[in-house]
Amino acid sequence: MKIKVHHGMCQGHARCYSLAPDIFQLDDSGYILPGDIAVPAGQETLAQRGARSCPERALEVAED
Amino acid sequence: MATRAAGAVVPDHVPPSLVRDFSYFRGPEMEPTPCGHPQAALSFVHREGPAIFYAPNNTYDGRGTWVFTKAEDQRAVLNNTEVFSSNRGIFKAALGEDLPMVPLEVDPPDHMKFRALLNPLLSPRRVDAMEAGARERAVRLIEGFKAKGTCEVMNDFAFPFAVGVFLQFLGVSDDRRDEFLGWANEQFHGTLEQRLNAMRTVVDFMKSLIALRRREPADDFVSFLLAAEVEGRPLTDKEILGVAVLLFEAGLDTVAAAVGFDLYHLATHPEDQQRLRGDKDLIKPAVEELFRAYSTIQMLRTAVCDFEYKGIPIRAGDLISCPTMIANRDPAEFPDPDRIDLARDNNRHTAFAYGPHRCLGSHLARRELIVGLEEFLARIPTFRLKAGSSPITYGGYVFGIENLDLAWD
Ligand code: SF4
Repeated sequence: MKIKVHHGMCQGHARCYSLAPDIFQLDDSGYILPGDIAVPAGQETLAQRGARSCPERALEVAED
Repeated sequence: MATRAAGAVVPDHVPPSLVRDFSYFRGPEMEPTPCGHPQAALSFVHREGPAIFYAPNNTYDGRGTWVFTKAEDQRAVLNNTEVFSSNRGIFKAALGEDLPMVPLEVDPPDHMKFRALLNPLLSPRRVDAMEAGARERAVRLIEGFKAKGTCEVMNDFAFPFAVGVFLQFLGVSDDRRDEFLGWANEQFHGTLEQRLNAMRTVVDFMKSLIALRRREPADDFVSFLLAAEVEGRPLTDKEILGVAVLLFEAGLDTVAAAVGFDLYHLATHPEDQQRLRGDKDLIKPAVEELFRAYSTIQMLRTAVCDFEYKGIPIRAGDLISCPTMIANRDPAEFPDPDRIDLARDNNRHTAFAYGPHRCLGSHLARRELIVGLEEFLARIPTFRLKAGSSPITYGGYVFGIENLDLAWD
């Protein structure tokens, strides 16, 4: 599973990070790092929950 | 000819079919109400429609606003900063002082340079470092009334806690806490005259703090701002003052109100209180759900040009209201929105707004609520509303709760 990161839409809510800090990494200002995220096996549910808590719809779950 | 409804003027361009008698200040549970639930009282708008309507008398000073009720439409407004400006000159209107609250009243693209400067100060990681101090304050306050078996949450806990954390952030010593508490109380809950006086006092205090730190820099917030640069130039005194005043305005009443609503909920929903006591890991998601269900603020924007949104004619100068408490009960966004489920998943609530102006202090506010609830639940046994007391809730610009008397055995 992959998380597509729409970096321009991130407004720094850090909701994804607060659920799964190891999957969603933030810069010093609290915005998500650019680039899609390859979700490690076994962490799909957590990644999905993190993505679905983003109020800006900046994270998109992509099955591959 | 402009038409009149409920004693207020409806501009010509507003189709009469879209006019609704609606106000955050009047109407059921918006005025001070014993044991009220002002957020729940507004969710009727989703059942009655339309999704966007015009409320002719919906500000403190009696102006009309559009009301956007759906989360999706609010997102569209709050992300379109070119049409919907955030600069309303709040202080200018109130005090006649040209003092833009930075960065709230600065629109993009200028907005970003101030946010870039301030974000690291209130980032999730920075908040980690502030947690110990906040926890110590919460513990001290709670231990102070624990043995009494009762407390009045707003005065004994919510306000002193929020003010204490703010002073810690500002780098001002704790012995000024009572003074600050008095200003906060008058500013947020006083008569119009008291409010204006308190606002002046806060502005004057911040001015003197800036002057002091110019003479004697320290390792604190104002000194940081004095040393900071945007676009290769230092901030002006007015900009520094704007930031400091905004933090005061935004960080006290809102945090205190959230503490009040959350404890009110737990006092009146013993099953939820038990659930949290039994599962400490639930406190974090529960705080998010309580932010959703008891959101307290609305975003106001001014259209800077004519604009048509989904067939609605908006004219330059129109005010657009995006109430968080209404978007957060939008059935298109949250299944069964009026049900409060402490473990709710996919909770994309908007209590801290959307878009570039997303609340700068959100990470600190969230942590204050988590720490506050953790310590309250750990130290105070099962609590309930004190017999014979009724908490008074109200609507307005910031929804809130006046008093909350709790008791425990
Ligand atoms: S939740 Fe969304 S807005 Fe927030 S940091 Fe993550 S990606 Fe950015």
